[in-house]
Formats: sequence, structure tokens, C-alpha cells
Amino acid sequence: MLKFKSTRKLGVVTSALALTMTGLAGFSASPAGASSYQKAHAGGTLTLLASTAGGTLDPQVNYTLEYWQLYQATYDGLVTFQKVNGPASFTVVPDLATALPKVTNGGKTYTFTLRKGIKFSNGQTVTVNDVKASFIRLFKVSNPNSGSWYNAIAGGDACVATPASCTLSGLTVNAATNTVTFNLAKVDPEFIDQLAVPFAAIIPASTPTKDEGSSPVPGTGAYTFKSYNPNSSLVMVRNPYFKVWNAKAQPQGYPNKIVENFGSTVESEVTAVENGQADWVFDPLPSDRLGEISTKYASQLRVHQLTADWYVPMNTNIAPFNNLKARQAVNYAINKNNIVKLYGGSKLANPTCTILPKGFPGHTNYCGYTKGGGSSYNGPDMAKAKALVAASGTKGAVVKLVATNDAVNAAVAQYIVSVLNQIGYKASVVLQSANIQFNYIQNTNNKVQISLTQWYQDYPAPSDFINILLGCSTFHPGSDNSINIAGFCNAGIDAQIKAAETLTITNPTAANAKWGQIDKTLMAKYAPWVPLINPKLTDFVSSRVGNYKFSLEFYMYVDQLWVK
Amino acid sequence: MGALGVLIFIVLICLCAPLYAHYWAHVNPFSSNISGRIFINGHWRSVIQSNSTGYGESPIGPTWHINNYFLGADSQGRDVFARLLYGGRDSLLIGTASALICVFFATISGLAAGYFGGVIDWIVSRMLDITWAFPVYLLAISLSVILVTAGFSVGPIHVQAGSLLLPIIIIALIYVPYVARPLRGIVMTLKEREFIQAAIGSGASDWRILRKEILPNVAPSIIVFFPLMVAFNMLTESALSFLGVGVQPPNASWGTIINDGLELLYTRPWVAMAPGLMIVITAGALNLLGDGFRDAFDPKAKLRGSI
Amino acid sequence: MLSFSLRRILSAVLVLFAISIAVFLIFFATPGVDPAARIAGRSASPATLAHVRAAFGLNRPIFIRYLLMMDHLFIKRDLTSYVNVGLKVVPQVLKAAPITLALVSGAAVIWLVVGIFGGIIAAANRGKFIDPLVMFIGIAAVSVPAYWLGEVVNLITQSRLHSSLFSWVPSGGYTPFTQNPWQWALHLLFPWLTLAALYAGIYARVLRAELVNAMNEDYVRTARAKGLSERRILIRHALRCSLVSIVSLFGLDFGALIGGAALLTEVVFGLQGVGMLTYTALQNLDLPVIMACVLYGSFFVVLANAVVDILYAFLDPRVRVA
Repeated sequence: MLKFKSTRKLGVVTSALALTMTGLAGFSASPAGASSYQKAHAGGTLTLLASTAGGTLDPQVNYTLEYWQLYQATYDGLVTFQKVNGPASFTVVPDLATALPKVTNGGKTYTFTLRKGIKFSNGQTVTVNDVKASFIRLFKVSNPNSGSWYNAIAGGDACVATPASCTLSGLTVNAATNTVTFNLAKVDPEFIDQLAVPFAAIIPASTPTKDEGSSPVPGTGAYTFKSYNPNSSLVMVRNPYFKVWNAKAQPQGYPNKIVENFGSTVESEVTAVENGQADWVFDPLPSDRLGEISTKYASQLRVHQLTADWYVPMNTNIAPFNNLKARQAVNYAINKNNIVKLYGGSKLANPTCTILPKGFPGHTNYCGYTKGGGSSYNGPDMAKAKALVAASGTKGAVVKLVATNDAVNAAVAQYIVSVLNQIGYKASVVLQSANIQFNYIQNTNNKVQISLTQWYQDYPAPSDFINILLGCSTFHPGSDNSINIAGFCNAGIDAQIKAAETLTITNPTAANAKWGQIDKTLMAKYAPWVPLINPKLTDFVSSRVGNYKFSLEFYMYVDQLWVK
Repeated sequence: MGALGVLIFIVLICLCAPLYAHYWAHVNPFSSNISGRIFINGHWRSVIQSNSTGYGESPIGPTWHINNYFLGADSQGRDVFARLLYGGRDSLLIGTASALICVFFATISGLAAGYFGGVIDWIVSRMLDITWAFPVYLLAISLSVILVTAGFSVGPIHVQAGSLLLPIIIIALIYVPYVARPLRGIVMTLKEREFIQAAIGSGASDWRILRKEILPNVAPSIIVFFPLMVAFNMLTESALSFLGVGVQPPNASWGTIINDGLELLYTRPWVAMAPGLMIVITAGALNLLGDGFRDAFDPKAKLRGSI
Repeated sequence: MLSFSLRRILSAVLVLFAISIAVFLIFFATPGVDPAARIAGRSASPATLAHVRAAFGLNRPIFIRYLLMMDHLFIKRDLTSYVNVGLKVVPQVLKAAPITLALVSGAAVIWLVVGIFGGIIAAANRGKFIDPLVMFIGIAAVSVPAYWLGEVVNLITQSRLHSSLFSWVPSGGYTPFTQNPWQWALHLLFPWLTLAALYAGIYARVLRAELVNAMNEDYVRTARAKGLSERRILIRHALRCSLVSIVSLFGLDFGALIGGAALLTEVVFGLQGVGMLTYTALQNLDLPVIMACVLYGSFFVVLANAVVDILYAFLDPRVRVA
């Protein structure tokens, strides 16, 4: 899920980009690309700008894209998402392990062999004990997903319950053979993806078992964090002990130093990049600068489709949206083309009708609620919407929509409220800081009827959307961490989810088709959300920057940029 | 006099906002109009247009036709001029209502503290001290952040999160010490005067003395303070709305329109400029009026900050 | 005198104490604000959440939490943020303080010079064209919302005339004095002018009023009788007395601004000062930072009030009994 700390607005691909089933064509399948390191371009300082820091720097705690992007160059897990341009970046490859794991015991046992001779940035050699300690530390530092992902490891649930006495019996290591064996408590088709994200980075066993906050933790990547102050800057330098072992897992980087400065306004960040005083802007580009950037600096603008949803979850447990007809009415009424406009135009977002984003495994072309029907979006149908509201008997209900207060979210929220009023509700908007809103809308105690939010994939698996956002297991009434915001829990659907997950292990293609079917059923029969758009991401880089490469998983490869 | 004329003019045109919107411009300033089109100079044009490159969308700029998007549209495609008039209503309402409430509470606490002294004075003064020491905008923002999220209910009173009452009450409360302190000083001086002492000596009730002797003597100061407080409160309201914690959408005030306009500052500066100019003119007129009142009623009256 | 000062200081401490309690209650009474949920991350399980809550002491009774926070803030000085986990709050405030100080002191110099000069000019030219003109400008200055003025300045210097007249204006932010004094001044020039405008207006108006009153006082009449020139009387006698009220006003304003009242100017110009720090913390409901900032800010307001009161008492013994 991965949300940006301050929601990024823009994304991607030029309109020429045809989105195929696997999505994301448009990448020139990285010609020659990754492998050949060009020494002539090495050196220099790369300057990145972000208006705010991303919080703690601890890779086992931080859950922001702002830092996951940087962790690619500083940390390694046993496996990783391949560091190449384009769709192939969704492929998991061995990193600190010599090969992808041997999966035995009906999908419950994963065996890795650790590479020899790799050193941390503090000079220590990476051993199987570091691997064991890293996974135990995940639980001791209360990793956000320790109770939802890593508890799949046998003994994991006990570690979640009492982290202090965590021994993680399901993870055994053998120093003699240099092997690491995970025994899972239950089959988990996504376990390998979960090992490839920064949470599962291998760090020294000597790392204190508390959130290290702003003090850097040593890693094995091409770079290491030298200093960090969330109010001024983050500095990355070359890891003196780094030697390339697999350029697709951890390539050598180009700049000698990478600095991310925090604290200026987005406006001044854009100006700085235009003037060549900095190389890249993390924050979404301000809408009134887009015209200027896309005309004067078009060659410095990069656009990519994201596998993410902007959506409107409706609380299926309280009035008026506990009524299916009311939810369908909202689906018919909202003009998704207007949302695209508010987001910056058709080059920056596509309207969507499904839960799984375009280009994501399992996505099917389907649009249940649009004028005239059909498989693609053709605009709203206000007449049907009004008729449904009338038929549902919810007309005149007081509705409050909760959204974040940044410019784009606030604009979209105001538009939706305006539509809700048109179809017969008494709607108003509550705007909150992004840091508060995301938890506020999850807690059933706050009785949020309808909200506006986003979901960015963690890894390319349909269950990361459907199971996490609409499965019974993520609905926790009364908790701030109940990511099933619609509060949707249906035994039939849950059984289908379980079946699809099991099928994933044996037949991923058939499983994807099944996920697509579940997606369709969810929208057609239950409509717990209004899916709005799939956003694209815009990167604005300085004119001197070369070798821009993009990962669908973690976005631009910061360390691969040339500044020379 | 000029100032009063300007004020009356602004109040009148703002009160006419619904007439303008419904019968003249035919727009709904509170409803999004993103895919709307308008007929201008013999052409139909979209209210929100794509930039030539396809990246980004811009609302239409000022048409300078009084009956049709005179100052252009905001990012929701709403008529900025119509919103400016409606915004003026809310800004003036909040400024005036909060000044009334503020002066009311300030008078009660200032009179009570100054007249009775002792424990009452001690309690009132400490409460004023605390409010005073809390940096004013920080207090206002703290209260707003909390209340704008949740609204509040005390006993039978329920105030919705988006209600205009919230900024009114918050602004009224934070400025109470600014008025109450000078009033307390005036009352303390008055109390030493012979005619009050005589009244006390004659056995008149406290209530009677406060009403018949003290109040008429502090009234001129209150009259002087009032327009100044309205100006002050309007500025505060606009600052809070600018920071997103004042008037909540789709309601408009001059501050929220400036906030909307910030997004468009470089491409459509009028959205932010126009409400700012309205604030300057209105606050300026109120300050001039305050000066006039001061010369007429009480040349020595001083608010905190001696404005 | 001593006992008055002591009483004044004691009441100042009491006020600060009350404020800290008020802040604490306001923010812990807020629904939907569970710092543990934000620390724990986005899809943390209830068990993880419970551990974070225990680790941060968020499951303790409210008054214990208050005491813990005060202990970490003042005694151990290691209070950490709820949002930027591990980030110590005290150094953050100390880092933001010089930026605010630079902004406010520079602006103070400008507004004192302009305000006093304007007040004197107006008072010296009573009845002429220039007096109402200066006062009108003063009214305009106090009626302009500071943040809006800042935006207008940004519009002109960063966009409309940036390619011609104002190409030398940097694009916001702050450069430390020690790093480059010239850039420091350049970055702060427009923030200074923007912040100074309001106060210059106030001070010119106040000073003029004081001078006009003073010119009717007995001692001025005496001076006049001695045959001194009007200008000499104004500068030598009236101004000297009137400056007392300017100085006390300055004490209060300067204290409030240092404490975070320059918030709007900081936000508009992207200066990471105390006001901005507080504002960001308020938006994130980052209670430790809010608490530290509000106490820091109130400290200066309370200090300025106490100093002004004590100075007054020193100058005018009658106040001490009041």
C-alpha cells in the first residue's frame, strides 16, 4: 500500500503509451541497459529536493515511498525486485541469496543459500546470523506489517504477541552450509514478494532492537546513509565495502554523493530544478507550473503509469451507504473525467471502474456504472443515479465526506460533495491533514460514511488490493488500523479470495483470471467503492541528468542517474 | 464619513450576492462546474481548459464581463466574482459576530474583575493571562484543528464541524483579553472616583452601580474598540481560512478564496488578488472609522497593541 | 520592588504551567488522534499497535503521561516526536529558533526606523498634507493581511517580474548567516519587509498619537515658554517620553513574534522557523512538538510581559500595589 507521505499527485506515461494486459508497454525493454556500467559518467553530487522528510530512516520501520525509493541503493534482502527499466522491474531476483529459494513442503518451506564475502557498510561480513537477527528485529521494532505479512513465518504470531521473547522458531540458519530456511505456518504465495521489499533488508545483528529513527543503520547497498536530519537533509555516500555481485540486484551507482534537501516549498523546488540548482523534485508538481514545465522544459519531464487507485470507499455498515442502491447511485453519478481534469488532465491519469488498476495482474476491462454500459468508461449517468437514490429511500440523508487537505484531494473531495448534493444527499466535506486522515477514516468509531483515499501497490499481486482492502481479515472494528475502509466483509467473497490465493501457487495465470472475476463481482454485486482514476507519476529532473530509469515497484532509480 | 460610505457600499453589494448569482450571472457559486461551458465574445468556451501541452488544466481567466465570470473561475470551475460577494458576507458576518461576542465577554469579565477586585479579579486576570500568553495564532489554530475535525457538543448544543459558528467563537474567545484588560484598567480607575464611591456609600446595589454608573462610563471605549475589533477579527478569520482551519468548503470567505487562489497564483492571480484587495479596503475603512470614533468619543481609548 | 518582581515571575510560571496542561488536554481529548496508530504504520495488526502503545507509554493514565512528557521535555531533554520517530524535539526547536530570530530582528530594525520616522514626520507636520498621508499609509499597512502581502510579493518577484527587475531574488527558503551572509540577507530581505509593514504602520500611528498628546502636556508648555523651537521640543522632550510606550509595545511584540507569531510570514516564504514548526506539528497533531513549541512561544510572551511590567513598576512605584 505504500502511500506517499504527502500524496504525490502526478504520474506518468505519455498518452501514446498503450496499456496492455501486462501493462506498461512503452518501456523500450531496456536495451542493453542495466549490465554495462559506464565509468565515464561516475562521480559528482546528485541533489534531490523534498518539501518534507519521510520520517524514521530505519528500513524495518519506514513505510513511505519517499525512502523506499532511496533504500534500493542502500539495502538488500535475500531477494529483490530486479533493478531494470520497465515491466521487468516486477520480477523478483536473488540478491544476498545465491539463487531464488527452493520451495518445498507444499509451499511451506523456503530454503536460501547466502552469498559469501558480502560486507556491510561498517565493514562486518554478512552472515546467516545477521539474517536471523534481522527477521527477529522486524518483530521487536513492531514493523508495521509484522502482524500481517511476516507472521506467516512459524512462530511469527508468538513474536507479534510478545516481541520481547521473540525467537522466531520458523527461521533456522546453518552457518556451516550458509543456508537460511523459512518454515511458514501457512502457505503464503506472496511471501517471496514480501521478502523483496525493504522491510526484509538484512542489517547487522548488532543493530539495536528499537526504531533507530534518525540514526542511519548500516546496509549492504552501493551507498550508505551518512547523515540524516529530517529538518534539513539526508546524505548518501558510496559504501566503501561495496563490490557488485549481481548488477540486476544491486548495480554500481553513478553519483559519488546523493543529497536530499528538505524544507523548501514545492514552488521553489521547481524553480531550483529549472535553474539547474538541484536535480529532482520529489513532491507532486504544482498544477499552475505544469504548463510552464511541459512547454519550456518538456525534455526534463518523465511520465509513468502507476499501479495505484484513487478511490472513494463507502462504509457498507452505516447509513446511507449500507444500502447497495445508494452505493451504485454514487458510482453512476461521479464524472470520472472531471476527476481526471482536477488531477491535471488526461495525460496524467485515466478513469477506472475496477479495483485492480490497469496494467496490474488480474485487471479486466469492465465498467459496470457508466452511461450506456460497456467495458470502458463513457461518463456518468445522472438519471440512473437519481432514480437509484430515490429507490433506495436514502434521499435527503446527511453525508460527510472525509478527505485530506492538500490541493488535489481537497479539489476532488469538493467536486464529489457537489455531485452528492445533486443526487439528493445533504453532503459536506471534512478536510484533514494527510497524516491524520488515513487512520481516521479507518476507525469505525469515527463513523465515517464516505471518504477519499489512495492505494499504491506494495508488490504486484492482486491480493495486495482485493484481499487487503476488501477482505474480512483486514477489517478491525474500533481500530485505527483497519485498512478495509469500506468495512466490507462477505463470507462468499472471502472464500473466493482464499481459493484464488491457493490457486496462485499452482497456476498464477488461472489465479489472475479468478482475481479479475472477483473484482468484477465485487463491483457489480456489492460496489463498496467508487474507483476513480489510476494516476500517473511525473518526474521533473534537471537538464544535466542522464540515464533516467524507472522501476514500477520503487520508481526512479536515484543512484543510476548521471550528473556527469 | 468616506470610510463609512465605503463600508456601507461593501456590505450592500455583499448582501446582494444571491441576487447577483441567481438573477444576473446565473451561476451557483457553491457547486462545482468542471465540465461547464460559457458563452463569451460570441464563442462557447470551457470553464476549465487543458493547457496546450495537455499537462495540467487551467480555469478560465477574468472575462471582465460583469454578467459572466467577471473575475474568471477557480479550480472547481466556480465563478470567482460571485464567490467574492458570498465570501464577503461570511467574512463580514464572522468579523462582526465575533467582535460582538468578544466585546460582550470582555465587558463582563473586565467589569467584574475591575469592580469587585479580590478573588474574582484574581481568577479573571489569571484566565486572561493564560489566553494572552498563548501566542494568538497558535491558540486559534490549535482550537480550529481540533474543532474543525470533530465539531463539538456541550450539553444540548451541537456544533457541526463545518459550521461558521466555530471560527466565530474561536476568534471571539482569543481576543477577549485584548479588550478585557484595558476595560478592567478603566473600571479600576473609575472605582476610585468620588461619584462611584458616593454611590457605593449610599448603599446602591453592585448591579445598579455597574449598570448605571460604570457601564455608561466605559461605553465610549467599547464603541471605539468595536470597529477596530471587527477589522482585527476579519484579518484573523482570513488568516485562519488561508491556513485551511477557518471557514470550511464549500462555504466561502475572503480568506478561503485567497487559499483557493494560491494554487493558481502564477497563472490566474486574480483569484487570490481580488479577495485580498477587498480585505484591505474593508479593514482600512473599519480602522478609519475606529479613528473617527476615537476622536469623537474617547481620545484616550487604547486597545492592546495601542492600535 | 523585589517582592513585586518575585510575584510577577511566580505568576508567569503558573501561567506557563496552566498552558502546558491546557495544550495537553486539548490534544488528548481529540477524537481520531491515536499517535500509536501513526507510529505503528499503515497496516499494523492490533497486537503491533498494542506494543507501540505500551512502548511509548500511551496506555498510561493521562496525568502520568503528562508528567512523563514534562520529564522528557525539561529534565531528560530527550522528548521525541510522534511523527518523525526518534527525532528529538528540543534540538528541533533550537534549530528553528535562529531562523525566526533572524527574521524578526531584521524586520524589527526596519519597522522601528520606519515607524518612528513616520510617527515623528506626521506629528511634526500636523495640519499639513503630509500628516494625513502618513497616517493613511499607516492604516493601509495595518489593514493588509501579512500572508497576502507576502503572496503578492512572491507573485511579483518570483513570477511577473522575475525575468527582469527581480532576477536576483532567490526562490525562497533560508541560508544560514554563517554559510553566506550575503545570501542570508538576500533570502530574508522580502520576508523582513513584509513582516515589518504591519508593525511600521502600528508604530507610526502609536507614536504620532503619543507625540500629539505629549505636545499638550505641562512640561512641553514650560519648554515652549522658555522659547525653545517646536522641532527641538518635539525631539528632545516629547519624543523622549513617548518612546517609553513604544519601548514597552516593542517588548511585547518582539516577544510574541520570537515565540511564533511570525508564523504566516514564515509559511508564505518557506522559512522553517518556530512558527512553521508549530504549524506543521499542529497539522500532524504531533503532540510533543506542539507542546515544546507552544511552551517555547508562551515563554517569550510571558517573559516579555513580565519584563515590561517589572520595568514599569521600576519607573512608576504606584503600579507595584496594583
